[in-house]
Amino acid sequence: MKKLGLLLLCLSSLSFAAEYDPVKGEMLSLSCTSCHGTEGKSEAITPYIAGMGKANMYQILLDFKSGKRTETMMQKHVKGFTDEELEQIAYYFSSVKR
Amino acid sequence: MINRRSFNKILLGTTALSFAACTGISELSLPKNKKRVVIVGGGFGGATAAKYLKRFSPDTEVILIEQNKDYYTCPFSNTVIAGMNKIDYIKHDYKTLESKYNIIVMHEKVKKVDGTINSVILENGKIIPYTKAIVAPGIDFKYDKGYEQGSEAYAPHAYKAGEQTVLLSEQLKNMKDGGTFVMVAPNNPFRCPPGPYERVSLVAHYLKHNKPNSKIVILDQKNKFSKQGLFQEGWDKLYKDMIDWRSVEFGGKVISVNPKTKVIKTDDGEVRADVLNYIPEQKAGKLAFDSGLVDGDWCPINTKTFESKLVKNVYVIGDACIAGPMPKSGFSANSQGKIAALQISRILVNLPLVNPPKLANTCYSLVSPNYGISVAAVYEAHENEIVDLKSLGAGGLSPSYADEGIRMQEAEYAVGWYKNQMSDIFR
Repeated sequence: MKKLGLLLLCLSSLSFAAEYDPVKGEMLSLSCTSCHGTEGKSEAITPYIAGMGKANMYQILLDFKSGKRTETMMQKHVKGFTDEELEQIAYYFSSVKR
Repeated sequence: MINRRSFNKILLGTTALSFAACTGISELSLPKNKKRVVIVGGGFGGATAAKYLKRFSPDTEVILIEQNKDYYTCPFSNTVIAGMNKIDYIKHDYKTLESKYNIIVMHEKVKKVDGTINSVILENGKIIPYTKAIVAPGIDFKYDKGYEQGSEAYAPHAYKAGEQTVLLSEQLKNMKDGGTFVMVAPNNPFRCPPGPYERVSLVAHYLKHNKPNSKIVILDQKNKFSKQGLFQEGWDKLYKDMIDWRSVEFGGKVISVNPKTKVIKTDDGEVRADVLNYIPEQKAGKLAFDSGLVDGDWCPINTKTFESKLVKNVYVIGDACIAGPMPKSGFSANSQGKIAALQISRILVNLPLVNPPKLANTCYSLVSPNYGISVAAVYEAHENEIVDLKSLGAGGLSPSYADEGIRMQEAEYAVGWYKNQMSDIFR
């Protein structure tokens, strides 16, 4: 019974997070890297985003989208992506070695 | 870098050499057990595609053919014209693409891409077969109204960066205080829609600090321009009365020009320039015409892959292609180069296309060194159409009448973009 509970817990937590689709994640990230550098490894004032924690980055992107967080450029880009796409982007950059 | 010796080494070493004795034409045969993609043109689109193709498909042989050893970017060339940066600031080379990514870089002139035999034909007669070719030829000018090939020695267009950038910069430096800088700005479509207006802004910045009695006249061959409200707000604030913009309808229409005397006839009388920056109207680069890739002035493409609609296995990216709402910008070319490389890497191994691909454009302009403005957009490639996702609230301009801090921050981001964009393309 305990095992079943654990399994259900795992399944339900999985249902909250989309699975990582590396091809899609990388494709979507290509728009980011023009300003943030290849793989997000910025060499300039634009933030270094390679290796950022996935949950943290996803939340930041959602906050830009909702307007909770503001900046001169980011909200113009994130609004062009669905939440699922933003999550894939966060997955991709979290998978890059810093 | 490939010179004659290393070219021959490729011919003899990694591939079989077939030689047509009667014509003296040598052929660089396709490598065995390997796909080859030949990219012609090493600008924002072509160099990006080469690098990213190697990232997505390390086993593919990638040959980048670019006639020049050094590449001067149009983005940030206006800062060189205005004396803010030296020409070396916008100079880049292909050495890292060779050493780090194992891309074969050839500095050769290309005669044409021949889709009937899936081969690139060099000016020197050599033939390079390909599995796929990517063509990124940029733009060429339409010469008329008295502005001909050679006129750029007197009235620089400075719309292909390098020598022309330096020439216009020198002419500006030598202009007397109280002189008139005249720009003829082209009708749409043309490379970098806000480019002429950023240039005028930075020229005004230079004149304000060095030759404050001077004037700038823009003779525009259209009635409105990119980021117009933001530019004009900045001009009012920083360069009051120095810039006289004349639309095509109200005094801007050019009838003819004499590049040597720098006298321009408009439908509203004559304008005399001390420095004349004449930016002609534009079409796809010559290679696109010579390769049969053009319908009208530009190259039609399949929107999901950037494959030419006219020649199979040839992909056209950057300023030369018809990409719907995407502006002809360095950023767009970079975005297209990545997507074309990704799709080709999948086609080569029979994987399905990434669908739908997404693209972007972000374009910063400097109104002064500390005053930046921007426009951005996100795109999705649908069947036969690239869609601007503004209906989702994406993209848009910098706010009007923003405070100085925001303008200064965007100027810093402009410099940041340039640094990272260069590294994303060349390193």
